[in-house]
Amino acid sequence: MELRQRFGEDAAIYAGGTEILLAMKLGVARWPHLIDVKPIASLGEISATKDTLRIGATATHWTIERHALVARVLPALTRLEANVANVRVRAAGTLAGNLAFAEPHADPPALLIALGARVVLEGSAGSRSLPVAELITGMYETAIAADEIIVAIEIPLPAQDARATYVKFQILERPSVGVAAVATVRDGRFVGAPTMVVGAVDEMARSVPTVQFAGADARDARTREALAEAARAAVEPTADLAGSVDYKRHLVGVFAQRAVASLLAQAS
Amino acid sequence: MGRREIHLRLNGRDRRALVEDQVLLIELVRSLGLVGTKLSCDMQVCGACTVLLDGRPVSSCTTLAIEADGKPVETIEGLADGTKLHPLQEAFIDHFAFQCGYCTPGMIVSAKALLDEHPAPDAAEVRHWMEGNICRCTGYQTIVDAVLDAADQLRSVS
Amino acid sequence: MSVEHRVAGTPARRVDGIAKVTGAARFTVDLSVPGMAYASVVRSTRAHARIASIDRAAAAASPGVLRVLTGEDLLAAGLTPYYGHVVLDHPVLAIERVRFHGEPVALVVAETKREATEAAELVEVAYEELPAVIDAHDALKPDAPILHERRGERVGDEGMDQGEGGLVGNVCAIARVGWGDVEKAFAGAHLVVEGEYRYPMLYGYAMEPYNALALFDQGDLVVYSSAQHVYMVRRDLARMFHLPLARVRVSAPYVGGGYGTKSYTKVEGMTAAAAFFTGRAVKLDLSVEEAILTTRSASARIRARSAFTADGMLLARDFEIVMNSGAYTDNSPLVNSKTANRCFGPYRIPALRVVARSMFTNTVPSSSLRGFGAPQGNIAGELQMDEAAAKLGIDPVELRMRNLVGPGEEFMPGKRPLDADLREDLRCLASALEWPGATVGRSIGLGVSASDAGAYPTSTAAVRIHSDSSVTLFTGSTELGQGSRTVLSQIVAEEMGVPLASVSVVNGDTGVASYERTTGASRTTTITGRAVQEACRDARLRVRGLAAETLGVGVEEIEDTAGGIRAQGRELSYGEVIERWFGAGGEVLGHGAVRRDAGFAQMPPFYEIGCSGLELSVDRETGEVHITKLTTVGDVGFAINPALVHGQDAGAAMMGLGAALHEELVYDGEQLANPNVVDYRVPRFSDVPDQVIHLLAERRDGSGPYGAKGGGEGAGNTIGGSVASALGRLFGVFPHQLPATPERVWRLMREAEKKDRPR
Repeated sequence: MELRQRFGEDAAIYAGGTEILLAMKLGVARWPHLIDVKPIASLGEISATKDTLRIGATATHWTIERHALVARVLPALTRLEANVANVRVRAAGTLAGNLAFAEPHADPPALLIALGARVVLEGSAGSRSLPVAELITGMYETAIAADEIIVAIEIPLPAQDARATYVKFQILERPSVGVAAVATVRDGRFVGAPTMVVGAVDEMARSVPTVQFAGADARDARTREALAEAARAAVEPTADLAGSVDYKRHLVGVFAQRAVASLLAQAS
Repeated sequence: MGRREIHLRLNGRDRRALVEDQVLLIELVRSLGLVGTKLSCDMQVCGACTVLLDGRPVSSCTTLAIEADGKPVETIEGLADGTKLHPLQEAFIDHFAFQCGYCTPGMIVSAKALLDEHPAPDAAEVRHWMEGNICRCTGYQTIVDAVLDAADQLRSVS
Repeated sequence: MSVEHRVAGTPARRVDGIAKVTGAARFTVDLSVPGMAYASVVRSTRAHARIASIDRAAAAASPGVLRVLTGEDLLAAGLTPYYGHVVLDHPVLAIERVRFHGEPVALVVAETKREATEAAELVEVAYEELPAVIDAHDALKPDAPILHERRGERVGDEGMDQGEGGLVGNVCAIARVGWGDVEKAFAGAHLVVEGEYRYPMLYGYAMEPYNALALFDQGDLVVYSSAQHVYMVRRDLARMFHLPLARVRVSAPYVGGGYGTKSYTKVEGMTAAAAFFTGRAVKLDLSVEEAILTTRSASARIRARSAFTADGMLLARDFEIVMNSGAYTDNSPLVNSKTANRCFGPYRIPALRVVARSMFTNTVPSSSLRGFGAPQGNIAGELQMDEAAAKLGIDPVELRMRNLVGPGEEFMPGKRPLDADLREDLRCLASALEWPGATVGRSIGLGVSASDAGAYPTSTAAVRIHSDSSVTLFTGSTELGQGSRTVLSQIVAEEMGVPLASVSVVNGDTGVASYERTTGASRTTTITGRAVQEACRDARLRVRGLAAETLGVGVEEIEDTAGGIRAQGRELSYGEVIERWFGAGGEVLGHGAVRRDAGFAQMPPFYEIGCSGLELSVDRETGEVHITKLTTVGDVGFAINPALVHGQDAGAAMMGLGAALHEELVYDGEQLANPNVVDYRVPRFSDVPDQVIHLLAERRDGSGPYGAKGGGEGAGNTIGGSVASALGRLFGVFPHQLPATPERVWRLMREAEKKDRPR
């Protein structure tokens, strides 16, 4: 922490290095100092209370993917982690690092935002907690102050009968559309409104307005199409090598529907 | 950036190396004469540079050498026991699971990490684990066959 | 003819197996010599510009820097600062002008790679921009900026140069093929199929990027290189430094992937220049991004028309092809001419007209990639067979059967008659694919091709029989992974009657191995293999001579045995004959040569057969294509090593699938948008088809050893067309552009829906 305060923006927090070293090699960023946070053992811990899963900042994708506790309390995160990038990136890269880098084509933000996850930041002014939705402010931009580091991610666990899911479309090295959804589905109907967040398609993950779907019949094709339409409307895709704007918008609708189908399948 | 002495256990032998902080793990192992580990994409995509760091597969092109301080590092050169090949190496030869051979060290090291953790994978698990290793020559099927065969061999030995 | 072989025809283990699975195999990039310096390339940041000035002061003053070189230095030193095997137009380092974004402008040589790389960033180049042309069609326009006002000297020979008739403006190469009265045939046709087809610009991604290590040893230039064609590179370097061929040694140890991308000179000129000016051994190893900026394959746009009778007989075909050569000639004349005669297919065509132009543009120079010309042309030629079949209501396999040429039939006037039974091959393929397919939601596509192998039959080989009867083979052929060391060893073992384990190969080195024109166009087994046979026969002849002298009998009384001779009822091994003749020690040397004569008098030396197909399904929501089955028929005459043939077929087919589904270099303005393998997507493990079947067709109808002929490209040549054909059969609309990315397939489905919707 002292190093972070001393070097400020001249230093980057280094854990797995999968993003930072790549950026430095590509010449898009250069830091005179890297602060290795891995030796701080407490930063790697994964624990859960009855309603919160806490993942330390240096926990790698690899560790989370294999963690029995995570698999038990939040299987959607286990599945997401098992499909992040490739096995080597998972072995070295951390979930916190992924959030701090704010790469727009990333898997974790959508699910974490849908679950209402927060990051715990520590800095010279002390500790604060920020929703992931507010942490990422744009492409490669976050609300992390120059003297702050992420120490943990706290994920509220879904209610007893709620289900979470993350589905994605990925052809290139990174996902081009990812949709996360969290809902309680009883007898095919949403209990309250579902939560849906679309990631990887936009500059940052976008929440889909879903108030109108409280109590809606998730089995009804019209409900699903309306949700898909809401998801399509919530994003501003950018055209790139993964596709044009209208194709990506179309994919958002497709994967919004698949997310609901996944929730239904888990509920049954 | 500074320069420091690190101690690592490289292919089962204790080694010391004086490295600058920014030196990458691939630069270190190759400078120690272990040039089996190959650089290709330089972006963690292709897997040619895969080595095991503390038992886990990593892209040595994007890992700092100082990360290896105090840890075991295993490269392709560490698999055979003298002239006795590792079952994965035998299987790669038997199944013609390589052509040019440039991706092969990373491919075999990555497969070893898989079999260390999952001694009996099915074809889908092999493909999923190996997804981050690129081969331009073989079309992959013979590699899947070789890994499955090696898994059988290893299980029958133990 | 039934011939019994001991080693030929068996799936012998690769002779490079242990080296390659233990990390012991040495590639050029693994080599170092004491005192070696490193070079780093400064590349153009403009697509087309005049170089106003190059300020190298800061770089030269940077720590560790030995020298900062520019094209002017090469000129001033009296070197030939250009290379090229057809046209001498490719500057080693840019001179006065840059013609593509990424072109080498200067070279920094320093004590370490890091020092060279850091100093390279300090070289300041001032440019005066010129208008650029990126698209090949735009390059044809009368007002297009001209890349080469003055043409380079033509240095190619009959194997690769098509001449310079009609080369005006930005036309790099032009090829015309044709016969019969095309217009008349079209006028009388029952059906004319017409369309424009596009094949993408590709990057071969040989995983070892281009690299070389050069030094001057007592005045001789020695270059270790990742090159496929060491003798072609030798010629360029000898010209550059005005050295006799004998004083240039180019050596390629194991090559980390070739696929044609390492044909001809790449980084060797720059590296040798660095060694020349610094007096040091210098290494230059490019990154993948730099490799992409070095060579790519040619994209093609083809306007095609095919005329048919009502019962599906071809009457005429007409192709107008425009290819993108990039900034320099490189191999474009050959690629262009091969596209011209690989587009129309091995069919009986009464009237044909093909005009192919390859255009200079301000893009990365284009050169060879596996099967070149065939995949580009196949999408047009084969897809029109499927489109015609659909319109005529004839089964596409049956339509092909009716038009295919038979074995021994000439289909290009004056060229070698077809050395394959394509109808039988196609029958095997269709049967293995369970054509026409019955699974709902799946679709089969297939195709055939017969490429006139671009392999000029000049080859030599030498064998040395040692005093213990073991044999060393010397061949200029390089080992790219195709298994040439293994196959050629098998031929030696077969011919000499010795165990495979006592055969060693010295290859890919102009200093010690004998002349080989190239390692490309699937020539090695067929042509080099014949030279190896000749060398073995020559060596055995000499052994018989020695035996006759030693034993005091007539040569005619001596018979060959496996591994030796028999005379007067006595058997002697080679080693025994050698030791008796010399008294102590000694060896016998045999030399073999193949030229455009005897079995290779008529070109091409063989046809490379493509007969592959696949079954696919499509995610109707995303457009993602999934390959459920892939089948290849390897019509190689005789598989000297069947496992290696399967390996070539599997690799070629997978590379074909990459281009069919995902791969495409994209220019965003004047720069490449995806010059890396994060954004340029090559096939992965997840792309392996659910089921893969590799068949062999062995009819001993090739001109190589034991009836073998080339393989290694063919299986991939028809894959792009097969994917397009399967999609077309599934949706009723044929895609005319590859790769069939999910988005393109999604758009195709929407187009098909619109077409189906009643008005």
